[in-house]
Amino acid sequence: MEQEVVLEVQNLKTYFYNNGRELRAVDDLSYKVHKGECVAIIGESGSGKTVSALSILRLISYPPGLVMGGKILFEGKDLLEMEDSEYRQIRGSDISMIFQEPSAALNPVDTIGNQIVENILLHTDMTKEQARARAIELLAEVGIPNAEERVKQYPFEFSGGMQQRAMIAMAMSCNPKVLIADEPTTALDVTVQAQVLEQLNKLRQDHNMALIIITHNLGVVARYADSVKIMYGGKIVEAGTVEDVFLRPAHPYTLGLIRAVPRLDLPRSHGLYTIEGEPPDMSKIAPNCCAFHTRCKYADEKCRTCRPQLEAVGEGHLCACWHKDMLEEERKEVLSE
Amino acid sequence: MSQPLNFTEMPGAPERPQDQFLNPEDIMYVRDLKMHFPVTKGLLKRQVGSVKAVDGVTFRVKRGQTLGIVGESGSGKSTIGNCLLKNVNITSGDIFYDGNNMKDINPRAMRRMRKNMQMITQDPFASLDPRMTILDVVCEGLRIHKQIDNKHEMEDMAIRQLEMVGINPDFRFRYPHEFSGGQRQRISIARALALQPNFIVCDEVVSALDVSIQAQIVSLLMQLQESMNLTYVFIGHDLSVVRYISNNVAVLYLGKIMEMTSSDELYDNPLHPYTRALISAAPIPNPIVDRARERILLEGEIPSPINPPKGCNFCTRCPYATKRCHEEEPEMIDVGNEHYVACHLVADRTGGKVENG
Repeated sequence: MEQEVVLEVQNLKTYFYNNGRELRAVDDLSYKVHKGECVAIIGESGSGKTVSALSILRLISYPPGLVMGGKILFEGKDLLEMEDSEYRQIRGSDISMIFQEPSAALNPVDTIGNQIVENILLHTDMTKEQARARAIELLAEVGIPNAEERVKQYPFEFSGGMQQRAMIAMAMSCNPKVLIADEPTTALDVTVQAQVLEQLNKLRQDHNMALIIITHNLGVVARYADSVKIMYGGKIVEAGTVEDVFLRPAHPYTLGLIRAVPRLDLPRSHGLYTIEGEPPDMSKIAPNCCAFHTRCKYADEKCRTCRPQLEAVGEGHLCACWHKDMLEEERKEVLSE
Repeated sequence: MSQPLNFTEMPGAPERPQDQFLNPEDIMYVRDLKMHFPVTKGLLKRQVGSVKAVDGVTFRVKRGQTLGIVGESGSGKSTIGNCLLKNVNITSGDIFYDGNNMKDINPRAMRRMRKNMQMITQDPFASLDPRMTILDVVCEGLRIHKQIDNKHEMEDMAIRQLEMVGINPDFRFRYPHEFSGGQRQRISIARALALQPNFIVCDEVVSALDVSIQAQIVSLLMQLQESMNLTYVFIGHDLSVVRYISNNVAVLYLGKIMEMTSSDELYDNPLHPYTRALISAAPIPNPIVDRARERILLEGEIPSPINPPKGCNFCTRCPYATKRCHEEEPEMIDVGNEHYVACHLVADRTGGKVENG
């Protein structure tokens, strides 16, 4: 994958302030997204995965949130430095986003067609008629049958899967270079989830668009992603290609996560591994420790007092852990399965 | 703990012949269960149709085992759970619990029986009263069923329950909002277990939880099953989780069971096209294994249960549907090994017999 970089996040820091307390939701996050690549960001609730996406779209409002530092380079320009008016040209056209709950993200009192047309008119100089024709074309492209009629309908007349397709059509309306999908299929049924993901993946390939999928579903990531970032406590703890992360995991958290998901292809007797404890309370993590140390079986004094940095464990494979060498045995056990 | 109600002694008891289907090792036997909800229209609430949420479902649950029910939204899986506990009055069919037909159990006896039958629901944020401390939550059932009169004994009991599910009993005076989602689900489990039930319906209990917490709760449930000899009906939409915890799995679609067999057989030898699509739609967290798998993408979505298709319920989305599937409803056939399928194509191919390989 020697495509050019479209989006680069450098040392992004997004903090929230509440009653004088600082909460580091995203702390020193860096990654690159190449053209046409599918990047997956995996994390549990509170790991900062959604906040990092909202920071890219500059949708963090102050108070309580504030982007405290870092750069977000889109085609070489820093999005965080831009004037609001300039950024508005990019958001919704070059960079767009689809959200988890389509029924909450769509406007209930306007037709699906008008909501798509609105975005097209805002970002292009098409006439209303052209925009309408484009909206129908888009709905058909995302797999909505009978698009001419559907375009006149309101969101409540769409099922969950259809609403999410309409959201995708809206996000695709100005041929984005980067599409961020935040838990795009969590609210959908399994068979519909497969349809929507297939559709998203096809659009990515057809338009050579970069796709950032934010999810907690490891299976979805294994199926579609090119590269994977594992987030824990506001930081990336492991990053690499999908093969690196799933087949040669270097961080104890990644390994634990992979083992904690029941596998359909293995017999029931296989057994399930559990990571003890709960995801950390972000406001209580000390800045100078590994955020995972409370749940990690390899944790020692060093993990409690000193924060590990991302280091290369292979080509393009990064891991932030003091004990990444101690995982060898556990990894062998998992791979032999 | 409960005295099995002997239904021959009850007035208006049904005729005996049903006994031949009752098996002492089954804690529950459900026969041709139907639950239709009326659809009304206008001021006079004229009934214009019915939602056929559950439409002729037959299954058994063996004592000490887990039956998984997997289905998409609208398949009627939660309704089945409610029917089993008699939370709703069923339209037709029979549910036998411990050999007693639930139809014949009067409300007072039912209330006594409820302590043996508990339910754990999906959303631990909604199912715990925000104004009760978790001690009160766990003790509420004990109080209602007057199992323990002594306040201290009751508290001791609650402490044991909380310890058993992995909640620090020092937190017993706290309120539900002070706990995380996973901890609340543990509290729900403690509440359900306080009355020493033998039968628990788990309705999407891990769907709202994070991956690592999901594994904890599933393991806890399995461990409790072992130590307390519990029977579960585990309802869910995630086939991998349901299959993992269950001995047998019933695949539900639009109020009907499409396929039912043991968990391992379901993955190794799925026969119904819908089961195959479900298995294919559930990705496996290993890029090499998953990308090599056959993909079956279903067209469309689950039809409305008000107006189910004629013939086989799945015919509108089935890639192999023939004319017959659109006209004639398939019977549930036993292909051997306690593997049941409702599909014309499978029936034709196997001639109703076992197919090897």
